[in-house]
Amino acid sequence: MLLTKAGSSARWRCSSRHWMLILLTALVAVSVVSLLIGAGSVGPRQVLGLISGSDHAEARFIVWELRAPRTLIGIAVGVALGVAGALLQAVSRNPLAEPGLLGVSAGAAFAVSLALVLGASAATLRIPVAQLGALIGCVCVLSVARLRGVGNDPVRLVLAGAAFSGLLGSLSALMLLYDQRAADEIRFWVVGSLAGRRLDDLWAVLPSLLVAGAGVVLIARPLAALALGERAASGLGHRPGLIRWLAVGCVALLVGAATAIAGPIAFVGLVVPFVARAIAGPDIRRTLWFCLPVGPLIVLTADIISRVVVAPSELPLGVLTALCGAPVLIAVVRAKRLPML
Amino acid sequence: MRHTLLQRGLLGMLISGLLVGTAQARTLETAYGDVEVVDHPERVVTLYEGALDAALAAGVTPVGAVTTRGGDNVAEYVTDYLHANELEHPEIVGVVREINIEAVLAQQPDLILAAAQLPEEQYQLLSQIAPTVVPHTQPLAADNWEAEARLFGQALNQEEAIEEAMAAVDLRAAELAAAIAAADVGGTAFLARWMPSGPMVMSTQLIATGLLEKVGLDVQDAGLIKADSAHSDVLSLENLSQVDGDWLFLATLNDDGQAALESAKQSAAFNRLNVVQSERVVPVNGQLWSSANGPLAAQAILDDIENALLP
Repeated sequence: MLLTKAGSSARWRCSSRHWMLILLTALVAVSVVSLLIGAGSVGPRQVLGLISGSDHAEARFIVWELRAPRTLIGIAVGVALGVAGALLQAVSRNPLAEPGLLGVSAGAAFAVSLALVLGASAATLRIPVAQLGALIGCVCVLSVARLRGVGNDPVRLVLAGAAFSGLLGSLSALMLLYDQRAADEIRFWVVGSLAGRRLDDLWAVLPSLLVAGAGVVLIARPLAALALGERAASGLGHRPGLIRWLAVGCVALLVGAATAIAGPIAFVGLVVPFVARAIAGPDIRRTLWFCLPVGPLIVLTADIISRVVVAPSELPLGVLTALCGAPVLIAVVRAKRLPML
Repeated sequence: MRHTLLQRGLLGMLISGLLVGTAQARTLETAYGDVEVVDHPERVVTLYEGALDAALAAGVTPVGAVTTRGGDNVAEYVTDYLHANELEHPEIVGVVREINIEAVLAQQPDLILAAAQLPEEQYQLLSQIAPTVVPHTQPLAADNWEAEARLFGQALNQEEAIEEAMAAVDLRAAELAAAIAAADVGGTAFLARWMPSGPMVMSTQLIATGLLEKVGLDVQDAGLIKADSAHSDVLSLENLSQVDGDWLFLATLNDDGQAALESAKQSAAFNRLNVVQSERVVPVNGQLWSSANGPLAAQAILDDIENALLP
């Protein structure tokens, strides 16, 4: 009995290693495609020509100044949103908890809009403001989740989140009407996109991503214990309240950073943990590991599609992820039994 | 007996003719049929930027007006004009898409001038307040504003003043065209709005682009404009070279065009355009260049063109 269990665990480990390899290979492939394809006339042939030494200035610029930055930013955003989604789902014990759906992204975007209206320059203040907004959004939503009757029903939490997002969205729209100066910049931020974002933004959020990463490493094991129930976690020597707060802090850092670079991008935080869980099983630690390649994979794929479907223009990434993510949400909700986390 | 009947009939016609004369009504052909307007309207409400502009150009100051698109007041060039001529500022009675009917009523207008896009339900309400003049809808064209201004001029009984104002615009454009040709600063031009994720190219069928054509520039839209649309979708940064002409007019919603230009220059893709390198990017006020129309707007746009091309 013990032997078979150990055997299956070893087999599992083996297959999960395979999966990781496959996902990482796919991620590398998608990153390369992301450098090759765009809305412009520079196609794979010109880009590959660069490697063999051709001196095509236009292609060089487009690959290194436009496509490479957005690929890197896409990877960072995918990791941040995927991990944040998995954390939020573990903390709220709700498979539908998603930063975009629950209004955490809307909180970050609203905070940025508010700061812009109050006269902050978009370049400097944005990241801490977005993270603060995400934190407030998180706390609001989770306090709703702890209300009697809501916490037990995943769909109700999503409804509460939708109402909260709607409120924040209309407040942002109100500010758009009120302030002309900021209107252009706000319009730019309320639609998630990887186009025209600068690498400087990525370097600026990197420290907070690293802090959040360290936090996640710290709380991964206690979170797994928490999945057994509060009493079991306390019995194992963890402090559920503290863990929850740390997790919320990490979510705020991650979502705030992602929103500050790319604007709110919905459904990534839902789809990525969904896929990762399907591969990794219920253990939050494995899920978190698998979120690392799956997140960028999905964001980059969506971004590549967004570049080619309406060339010479581009579809905003947020629109595309919503189109692809909504069916997943419906599928999860319509599944006979929602998995309780 | 028959004789007297005829006499009475003639007399009646004469009297009714006189009565019409004393009521001083004129009939205009509008999008919603023939509308009778008073001879000398005193309280005019304009529900369209082009109507406000035409009324001011015809020497009539409206008592009520709608805001410029996306703003909370009339366009800046109108405010400047009112200020320069010491005219009273019209009351704001809503925005173009959402007219505050009660505010219109409060002005007790005797004439309402509206946009060609005025929906019929609103027309029914407004025409109960005062005769409402709505121009025929036409497909987007650079000279639409002229026909509209003419109609508004007729409604205000100021045909001559409007014709003079439009002739002045044509004359000024012709002079500018000659000066630009002499200075040899013409060439291709684009009108676009800049977003950090890319530019939105504006149609060649706007009043501003029409005037650019009139002064001798070759205005293009890179084939990005779909039929009957005033502007394109946001063009991918990868395709920026499509808007790299001799002149780029950058319409901004912000007051400070120079600041908008500086923020656009933070984009490496924008910075490497030839038109940016040769400093031929002209920041212009989006309210005036992409939203307003009328003889005064035309003059203000020509001012901008002259300042940019012939400094």
